Amino acid sequence: MARALELVVGGLALGGIYALLAFSLSLTISTTRILNVSHGVFFVWGGACFVLFTQHLRLHPAVAILILTALFFVFALLFQWGIVRPLLGRNVHLLLVGSIMATFGLALSMESALGYAWVTYVDPYPVFTSSLAMFPVTLGGVALSGSRLVILGFVVLMVMGFHLFLQKTFWGRGARAMAQNFDGCLVIGLNPYRLSLILFTLAIMATAVSGAFYVLAVPLNPYEGLPLTLKAFTVVILAGVGNLPATLVAGAVLGLAEVITSQFLGTVWAPAVSLAILFLVLVFKPTGFFGKGVY
Amino acid sequence: MSLDPRATALVLAGTGGLCILPLFLSSSWLLVMFLSFVWLVITANYDVLDGFLGQINLGQGAFFGLGAYVATMLLNLPSVQQLGALTFVVITVSALAAAALFAAVMAFPLFRLKGLYFAIGTLILIFLLQVLALNLTPLTGGSYGLYVPPRFFMNTFIGYYLALALAIGSLALNFYLSRSTLGLAFRCIKEDEDAANSIGVDPMKYKLIALVIASLPTAAAGVLFALNSGYIDPNIALGVERSLLPSLMALLGGTGTVLGPVFGTAIIRIIETVFFHYLRLPVPSLLFFGITLLAVALLIPEGLLKSARFKRLPFLRALAS
Repeated sequence: MARALELVVGGLALGGIYALLAFSLSLTISTTRILNVSHGVFFVWGGACFVLFTQHLRLHPAVAILILTALFFVFALLFQWGIVRPLLGRNVHLLLVGSIMATFGLALSMESALGYAWVTYVDPYPVFTSSLAMFPVTLGGVALSGSRLVILGFVVLMVMGFHLFLQKTFWGRGARAMAQNFDGCLVIGLNPYRLSLILFTLAIMATAVSGAFYVLAVPLNPYEGLPLTLKAFTVVILAGVGNLPATLVAGAVLGLAEVITSQFLGTVWAPAVSLAILFLVLVFKPTGFFGKGVY
Repeated sequence: MSLDPRATALVLAGTGGLCILPLFLSSSWLLVMFLSFVWLVITANYDVLDGFLGQINLGQGAFFGLGAYVATMLLNLPSVQQLGALTFVVITVSALAAAALFAAVMAFPLFRLKGLYFAIGTLILIFLLQVLALNLTPLTGGSYGLYVPPRFFMNTFIGYYLALALAIGSLALNFYLSRSTLGLAFRCIKEDEDAANSIGVDPMKYKLIALVIASLPTAAAGVLFALNSGYIDPNIALGVERSLLPSLMALLGGTGTVLGPVFGTAIIRIIETVFFHYLRLPVPSLLFFGITLLAVALLIPEGLLKSARFKRLPFLRALAS
């Protein structure tokens, strides 16, 4: 019994990490239709900056998070101005291919820049781990790493926050309108550029902070960005694109499935099981677990 | 549609030039050209789905990796090694069959998705094969990869001509599609799927056909690549860029044009070769390569052969059919 509980708690904690990886990607894809392949790279950059600030510059973690958010705020403005804005006016097909190409180029250059800079100036063995000690928590006789609980709490807060933003605020409703019909958005006088600016700024800052939380539990390396993007896409498709609360559920399902598989078949098969689940869901329910999402 | 004589002459001259080119090339340049042809095959096949059916298939690299892996796995079996000259036939046919089967099976879940969702779903294909290649260690060697037994190596000179033939074959397939009823059915689905369905063009059937015929030359290119390099592992044969770069090359050249993939592949390969072999940069070349891709995506939205500036050049306009 205690063993089963341990599996469930471990699976949910892993699910929190997957949801953390995916929620901001889900938000931007569904609303702006820009397929951001460099998402995973932003995530790794967030983690790397956090490690740099806390371990090498010896800043307090809260200060580090603040500086990180400020940095990525500026970066998000540049991203919006340089990449999103020129792409947004294109038709659906060209927007899609253009965004893949542009963000893939960005991902390659950011990835190699980070790897090179880290090896040259910081540490010849580029692995980003945080040494922040987290208290272990005992829950019903099951010991659990505190950092995973912190992640779980953080991601639930973020997802709920973004969900409320989309449902209740003016700009959130505008974002959903843009997801439904870009031209209609222009007709009723919503400015899609301003909308996407708001969305990308929020999403990129959230991604970077998520990366910082991620390194508390799992080490990252500079070249993990693109595989992480793929992983995030799996979660996004499983949840249904744009359905933020479902990201939590999809993360939990994947986490549980992977933990149980690791237990009975070996760790190496865990990713294969998540892909099998994904394809089963696509066959029987192409729109993901809960259908169409927020729009 | 009749052929423009100038375009025909230009294409024939280009092909003839490529046929005698190996006589003047050093072995390293021969390899560069061989790899470019391999990329061109993947790009041309990618364009079957993008240019004619309007579906962005980011899983094209999966067929490449599958072909490479099936061929190399079979070459490591003693019973296949003893077949003599038949060995190459057996491995090629099995690799093609495996790719076609994989395409046909995957078509059912994937084509239930559309547009953006289809693109993401197909990108996950390569992830799936990567996981399998990493974990089925007894068959694939896991992360250590697989070696081709030395006596089955293919030298680059032969590889050059085979890859050239394969590339011309792939382009001929696109040419056929641009001027046949099959291609017309594809374009019909691209324009409006519901309308196509209502006049009796079954979208699912034609999408399945497209994915299967697009998978075959790509798998053959994978076989050539494995035989020439002598070693494959999950990163070389199934890296994410195997799927993403072809779509960029096709887009750069102009999707839905027969010669677009040639221009796109040539440009990206030239940029790549210059950055990685000639410029001795103090910082990683990948950085500049990435920035170049980014710039191209933003500056040439609809591809070179379809851009207005290109069409104004009278001599080259004929190529953009």
